[in-house]
Amino acid sequence: MLTAALVVSDGLGRGFDRAAGAADLPDAIVRFDPEPAGQVAARIAALPDLAAFSLRREFTGVELDAPGHTSENAAVEIIGPGRRGYAIVAGRDLSGRPGEVLVERGLAAAWGMPLGGRIELDGSSPQRVVGFTESPDNVSYPLAGPRVYVAQVGVSVPPGVNLAEIWLRDPHRLDEVLVQARATSYGVHGLRFVTRAGVRVLLDQAAGIVIDLLVALSLIALLTAAVMLAASARAEVQRRLQAIGLRRAVGASRSYLTATQGLEALIVAAPAATIGLIAGTLATYGPTSRLLMMLNEPAPGAALALPLAAAWMAAVAIPVTSAAWPAWRAAGRAPVALLRGAELAAARSRRRASPIRAGLTVLGARLAGARRARLVATATALGSSTGFVLLMLALASALVSLETDPGALGKRYQLTAQLPPAAVGQVRAIPGVQAAAPRYADEAVDSFSLQETIDVIAYPGDHTEFEAPPLLGGSRIARPDEAEVGAGLADALGLVPGSTLAIQLASGGELRLRVAGVVGSLDHDGRVAYVPARALLARDPSASEQLVVRVRPGADLTRVTAALGATAAPAAGATARGVPLVDTLRAILRAVAIVDGLVCLYALIQTCALTVQERRRTLSVIRAVGAGTPAITRLLAGAALALVAPAAAIGIALERWLLGPALARLAAGYATLSLGAGAGAIAAVLAGLVVAATVAVLWVARRAGRESVVSGLAAP
Amino acid sequence: MPVLAASGIIKTVGAGRAARRVLDGVNLEVDAGEVVAVLGRSGSGKSTLLHLLGGLDRPDAGRIVLAGEELTGRRPGALARVRLRHIGFVFQSFHLIEELSGEENVLLPARLPGARRGGERRARRLIDSLGLAEIAGRRPHELSGGEQQRVAIARALVGDPELVLADEPTGNLDQDNGATVLGLLRELGDRAVVIVTHEPEAAAIADRVLRLEDGRLREDADEAMALRESA
Ligand SMILES: Nc1ncnc2c1ncn2[C@@H]1O[C@H](COP(=O)(O)OP(=O)(O)O)[C@@H](O)[C@H]1O
Ligand SMILES: [Mg+2]
Repeated sequence: MLTAALVVSDGLGRGFDRAAGAADLPDAIVRFDPEPAGQVAARIAALPDLAAFSLRREFTGVELDAPGHTSENAAVEIIGPGRRGYAIVAGRDLSGRPGEVLVERGLAAAWGMPLGGRIELDGSSPQRVVGFTESPDNVSYPLAGPRVYVAQVGVSVPPGVNLAEIWLRDPHRLDEVLVQARATSYGVHGLRFVTRAGVRVLLDQAAGIVIDLLVALSLIALLTAAVMLAASARAEVQRRLQAIGLRRAVGASRSYLTATQGLEALIVAAPAATIGLIAGTLATYGPTSRLLMMLNEPAPGAALALPLAAAWMAAVAIPVTSAAWPAWRAAGRAPVALLRGAELAAARSRRRASPIRAGLTVLGARLAGARRARLVATATALGSSTGFVLLMLALASALVSLETDPGALGKRYQLTAQLPPAAVGQVRAIPGVQAAAPRYADEAVDSFSLQETIDVIAYPGDHTEFEAPPLLGGSRIARPDEAEVGAGLADALGLVPGSTLAIQLASGGELRLRVAGVVGSLDHDGRVAYVPARALLARDPSASEQLVVRVRPGADLTRVTAALGATAAPAAGATARGVPLVDTLRAILRAVAIVDGLVCLYALIQTCALTVQERRRTLSVIRAVGAGTPAITRLLAGAALALVAPAAAIGIALERWLLGPALARLAAGYATLSLGAGAGAIAAVLAGLVVAATVAVLWVARRAGRESVVSGLAAP
Repeated sequence: MPVLAASGIIKTVGAGRAARRVLDGVNLEVDAGEVVAVLGRSGSGKSTLLHLLGGLDRPDAGRIVLAGEELTGRRPGALARVRLRHIGFVFQSFHLIEELSGEENVLLPARLPGARRGGERRARRLIDSLGLAEIAGRRPHELSGGEQQRVAIARALVGDPELVLADEPTGNLDQDNGATVLGLLRELGDRAVVIVTHEPEAAAIADRVLRLEDGRLREDADEAMALRESA
C-alpha cells in the first residue's frame, strides 16, 4: 500500500522533469506562419546566449490512418537536422531514409500500433513506424491530437518552416531572449511562443491537485502501515512474555533476548516487505505509467529504486524496532512477574466499573480500548482515510455540478439564443425574463508565450450581472481599457492586477488592456479574459454574438425557451467544453478512493485480528462459558465500533475544517468550489465504514471461532 | 437417569512421536445432586477429561450424553449452546475477565445470545448468597483469590446449569479460602458436580471419589470413606 502511493506520487510528481530531461526539451518553441528556412535561421542565430536551434515544418489537421483507427486532426512534424526535443522510448530515431515515421507512445499505446506497423498520412503511401517518442511539450493522445514525426527526405512539402526549437546556454536568460526575439521578428506573422516554464505551468495546473491528493494519501497509508506493523510486532512479543521470562530466569542476558526478538521480527518482516513491495509496484506501476503516457511523460523506471529501497527499509525497521523495544522493556523486569503472565503495559486501568452495564458490545469496546495508544493511533489513521474519502465525494459532486450547473462557473444566465443584439429589447419583454444582454465571444492567442487559445468574453454593460466568476484579486472592470483575466491565464502569463494583457484576436488585431482583476474560472482551464464589448468590437467586429437570458426565479423555463425561438439553448457547464482537469481528476479520484477504502478495511481487520490475538485467553473464557460465533461477532463489533466511531468523527471534522478548505484554496485558481461534504456524502461514507467494519468483524470472528478453546485457555 | 454419562472415552494428545493416549476408555456417570471428585497426579489427564465432558474438546472415541443430549459429533455452535445452558465451569486460575467488574463477570453468560431467561435475577441472588454484594463492583485485580473464585462460581451458576465442572478449584487458594470454595460446591443442591484435583482434601466433600490412573477411572470407595471420617 505504501509502495502503491509511492509509485503514483513519485511518478506524477517528478514526471515532468524526468520527461524534459529525457526528451532534451527546448527552452522555447516558436511557431509562426511559414517562412523560408534561411531567413528564420539568420534571425535566430542572431539571438543572444543561443546554444542550438532546429527548424521544422509542422502540419496540423492532417488525416492519419492506421489499421482500425483514423484521426482527422493529427499533427505532423517534418524533422530537419539538429537537436530533436523528443525522446525515443522504443525502436530507433529516423534514419534519414524515406518512408519512416515516429509516433508518440501514447498514441501507439491507445491504437495498439506495433513497431514496424504502417500508417498513412493524408492518404499518402504507407509509412513504416520505426520508433515511439515522448515529448512533454504537450500532453499526448487522447488528451491531445495524435502527433507523428517524419524525416524531410522524400516528402514533398511546400517550402518554408513554421516551427523553431531553441536551446539556450543559460535557461534563466529566457525572458531576455524572448524580448529580443520579439523585437527582431518583424515580417514574421502569427508568432507564438511556448516556453518550457509555460508548459510546466499548464501541466502543473492539471496534475497539481492530483499530486497533492496522492502525496497526502501516501502519508496516511504510511501512518496506517506504521501503526499496524508496530502493533502486530508488539502483540507477538506480548504473546511470548512467559517464554521471555523463562529464558531470563535461566540466565539469558537482556540484550540477547532483545536481539533474538528483533531478529525473529526481521526474519518475518524482510520477506513480507519484499512481497509487499513487489505486489504494490505491480499493482500501480501499470496504471501510473498509462497516465504518465497520456501526459507524455516517461514511467519512473529506475528512478523509483531509491524511494522504494527507503520504503523497504521502513517496512522492515518498523516491525523490528517495535518487536525489540517491548522485548527490551520486558526483559528488564523481574522474571517472576513475566512468568505469571503479567501484562507488559500498565493496562489495568484504575477506572471503576462504568455505569454502562457491559454487554458483549461494550466489552468488545473495552477490550479494544485496553490498548489506548494504539486505539488513538488507529482511529487517527482511519479517520484521515475517512476524511479523504469524504473529500473525494465532495470533489466528485463539485465536479458533477461544474459539469451540469453553469452557476458553479459563475454563470448567472440560464438560456442562450442565437439572436442579433438588436433583438434584446424584444427578449426583455418576454414574460419570465429578468434580464438579457448580448454576449460576444472571440478566440485569441497570447502574443508571447502561450500556445493555447484564450477565450475572450465581452458584454456591453456590467458582465457580472450575467457572468460573475469570483474575484480572486484586484477589482472588477471599471474603465473601457480594463480586463479581468481568469486565474489560469494569469498563472500562465504571470499577470497581476496592473499588468498589461496583450492578445491577438482571431481577426489578427491586437488588444492591449490593463488587468484590473483576476477571477476564478474553470471554463477553458481558466484561460479566459473578460473585456468591455466596445474594446473587443473595435478590434474584431466579427466576434461571435449571442443573447444570454436570465430567467426570473420561479418562472417557467420551458415557456421562456419556447418564446425565444428555435435557437434557444440552455447554458452549458464546464465540461461541455471538455475541461482536461475535470477529466483527469475524475479518473484519478476513482483509483484513490479504492486505495483509500482498502486502507480502511486493512486497519479494521488488523484491529479486530490483533484484539483476538492479544486477548486469546479472554476470548476462550467467553467461549468456554457458552459464547458461539454470533456472540464473538458482537464482541468484535464492539471493538470495531470503538474504532469506527471516533474515526468517523475525526474524518468528518478533518474534511470539514481542514482538507475541504485546503483543497478549495488549491482549486481557487479555477473556480470557487464548495468542498464541504454534504449529508449524503457523510451518510455514504458512514455506510461504507460500517460495511468495511462488518466485513472485518465477520471474517475475523469466523477465524476466531475455529480456534481451539482449550489451547486458548492455556494462553498467557 | 444420570445427568452426565460418558462411556469409552479415548483421547490422544500430541502428534507424531510425542503422541500419548491420555484417556484410554473412561466411563463415568454422575447423577443429579451428586458431587464426584476425580483425583489424579499432575499430568494424568484430569483437565483433558474435564474439557471433553464440558464439550470444549472432542474425544477420539466414546460417547458423552449430557441431560439426555448426545455431545459427540455436534457442531461447534451447538456445543457452545450446550455449555451455555447446561454446564458451568470453574477454573484453577479463575479466568475472570479483567475489563469487567465482578458483577459484570457474573452477568456475562446471562447476556450471551441464547442464554436462559431470568439470568439477571439469578445473578443478583447469587451475588447476595455468596457474600459478594460489597465487592461486586470491583475489577478482578482488586479482589483476593478467594473472592475471585467465588465470583467465578457465581458466573458458573448464573445459567442454572445441570452440571458444574471444576478444574482444581482450590489450586490457587490458601487453606481457608479453599475450604470455603469446596463448601460452596458441596451446596449446589440438585446439580451434578465434577471436581478434578490432585489435592485429596477435595475428596472429603465428595459423594464419590474416582482415581484417574493410566488413562482409566477407578472407583475408590475406601478412600472416600476414610477421608470423610477423618474430616
Ligand atoms: N495440547 C497438548 N499437546 C500435547 N500434550 C498435551 C496437550 N494437552 C495436554 N497434554 C499432555 O497430556 C497430559 C495430560 O494433561 P492434563 O489433562 O492437563 O493433565 P492434568 O490436568 O491431570 O494435570 C499431560 O502429560 C500433558 O502434558
Ligand atoms: Mg490440569
